[in-house]
Amino acid sequence: MLKKILLPTILGILAYGFWISPDFKEIAAGVAIFLFGMLSLEEGFKVFSGGLLEKLLKRSTDKLYKSIGFGVLTTTIMQSSSLVSVLTISFLGAGLIGLTQGIGIIFGANIGTTTGAWLVAGLGLKVKISAYAMPMLVFGVILIFQKAKTLKGIGYVLAGLGFLFLGIHYMKEGFEAFKSTIDLSAFAVEGFKGLFIFTGIGIFATVVMQSSHATLVLIITALAAGQITYENALALAIGANVGTTITAIIGSLSSNIDGKRLAGAHLIFNVVTGLIAIIFIHQIMSAVDYTSTYVGIANDDYTLKLAVFHTIFNLIGVIVMIPFIGKLVSFLESRFGQEIREEDAEYDSIKYLNDSVLELPATALAAIKRETEHLYDNAFEIIAHGLNLKRGNIISSMELDDVIADPYSAKGIDMDEFYTYKIKGIYGGIIDFSTNAQSQMPPEYIEELYQIKLSNRDIVEAIKDTKHLQKNLLKYTISTNENIKKQYDDIRKGLADLLRTIHTIRTTQEYDEIVTLLAKARIHAEQYDVIANGTLDDLIRNNLITNEMATSLMNDSTYAHDISKNLIEMAEVLFIKGDDETMELNEELRITEDDIEQFIEEKGQK
Amino acid sequence: MSIKKFIKNAKESLGLDELKKSSKKKSLKVLLGKLEVRKEKITKKLEKKADKKTTKELKEELSIIKIQIKKGEKLLGKLEKENKKTEKLDKSKKG
Repeated sequence: MLKKILLPTILGILAYGFWISPDFKEIAAGVAIFLFGMLSLEEGFKVFSGGLLEKLLKRSTDKLYKSIGFGVLTTTIMQSSSLVSVLTISFLGAGLIGLTQGIGIIFGANIGTTTGAWLVAGLGLKVKISAYAMPMLVFGVILIFQKAKTLKGIGYVLAGLGFLFLGIHYMKEGFEAFKSTIDLSAFAVEGFKGLFIFTGIGIFATVVMQSSHATLVLIITALAAGQITYENALALAIGANVGTTITAIIGSLSSNIDGKRLAGAHLIFNVVTGLIAIIFIHQIMSAVDYTSTYVGIANDDYTLKLAVFHTIFNLIGVIVMIPFIGKLVSFLESRFGQEIREEDAEYDSIKYLNDSVLELPATALAAIKRETEHLYDNAFEIIAHGLNLKRGNIISSMELDDVIADPYSAKGIDMDEFYTYKIKGIYGGIIDFSTNAQSQMPPEYIEELYQIKLSNRDIVEAIKDTKHLQKNLLKYTISTNENIKKQYDDIRKGLADLLRTIHTIRTTQEYDEIVTLLAKARIHAEQYDVIANGTLDDLIRNNLITNEMATSLMNDSTYAHDISKNLIEMAEVLFIKGDDETMELNEELRITEDDIEQFIEEKGQK
Repeated sequence: MSIKKFIKNAKESLGLDELKKSSKKKSLKVLLGKLEVRKEKITKKLEKKADKKTTKELKEELSIIKIQIKKGEKLLGKLEKENKKTEKLDKSKKG
């Protein structure tokens, strides 16, 4: 309802303002051009941010100070804390970083964003930046029309900067001209009353423009033209800091629970920082005066002093909040719990796939991979129980003979029911999301996405094959015929060994161990060929099993072979950790059918 | 000059392809070293007395490692051969 009224009201007020004041029109146009520049700049940085940011994230966010540094650096370069917070929500949604790291980045972004005030106050107002804007716009737009992705990205960044400069120029001109007609400083309010009123205006302006940067530039240009007082400008800057959290809140609406927690942290941090700034305004102002004198800023250079104030109060906020990060995380985790409807409680669904991770191809891909691992976790449970094995036993160091001697249940599980509750929803979700993500992905990501999609299919096929295997397996593992019982127990033992091997591959960091285990798994998969290894012939020739048993064993050993093959292929895509070279090496060192044949021959000769 | 050609030339001038090859070679050498250590450890374990099952498992692992080492050495030889070929080509270009 409010949304329906708000937009026409704002448009109406603006139209009336344009009608009565051409100078106001110029200022508003400046803001609009500036915001358009921000959008263009964000678009440009998104082109480069995917792979590069992901690589940087891995190295730069393992410690809190590094996360803060990452936030400072990226926001300083991209000049948009909103973009950094939206990207952080996306990384968090994809499970690339944890909540504490995310909060660190947001804290850093709050410090990084203060560089914007320095740039505008120090450079934007003292140099005729519109002179730089024109060539930037021309070169930028030419590059935007190029096919090459990198050139397009550079084009967006250049055009973005051009529009930012042009916007600042128009705002500056507008306020200068405004001075001759209306003196806005006459509306200045002093004391704490003024502080609260102008903080409120700052919040409102930033919520409407969704950019604290734009609000700050507006404040600085108005302050430079003498249209607002220094004290009121400080209050507006505090308001802008609180108002900027709206972008993260909007971004988190499409995110998972962690994204919402991060937006909550952003809001709490900025509100607390704002309150500290309001309560200790006089002390901070004294600190600003002292710092300004120390670094050589003139006492009447209020625009630069505003930049100093902006930096100091954000720094204070970070310093005050750092010791409470742990408590903040606990609070957010308890406040934003996972809401599960009663009817959904039994159905497992997607955890990592949401619209927020679509911001970047790299985060979308990482989220799909994570979700596939989630699917495998459930598949592991179903396959283990389908084989009448206990998961805990499989991943323990228990002897395999003991693992198969300890059944999960007396009559076996309903695999169809398990599939409906634990696989169907996630698998469907992954396929739907991948199709959507693929349409927005550049070609270099498509091959990896295709491999992950194949892994999903491998997992589901392995479950289906286990289901086919389960019927005879339950029947013959309690058979009085010891020969057929042994064969089916061997199948269970072989698959338990494979599940254990995959678990080790997933958890180990040693690449040589991974290579050896994968080769071993591939060789073991061939042991199910009961025709080739002569087992079936022996059993039939010696009348050890019936014809019916022989047919079942032949079919079921094929299922066991297929389950192994599918799970090994899946493990090679999902669980091999390392860079591109490692992946390439794995491809080239993969054990082939010839190697396996040679191995079996050598084994036979021994 | 097209963008692709420009990037290709820049990569050649900066020797980025070589860098990739040499880092692959480095990773392979590290892996081979680790496999050799693993091989030695298993051989030592086999020299000691163990039950039949453990001996069988160790022998199997040793055979797998030998296959991997053989494959790795073959790949390393191939990479070194490629390196020498490129070096020769570069020299003849300069000469």
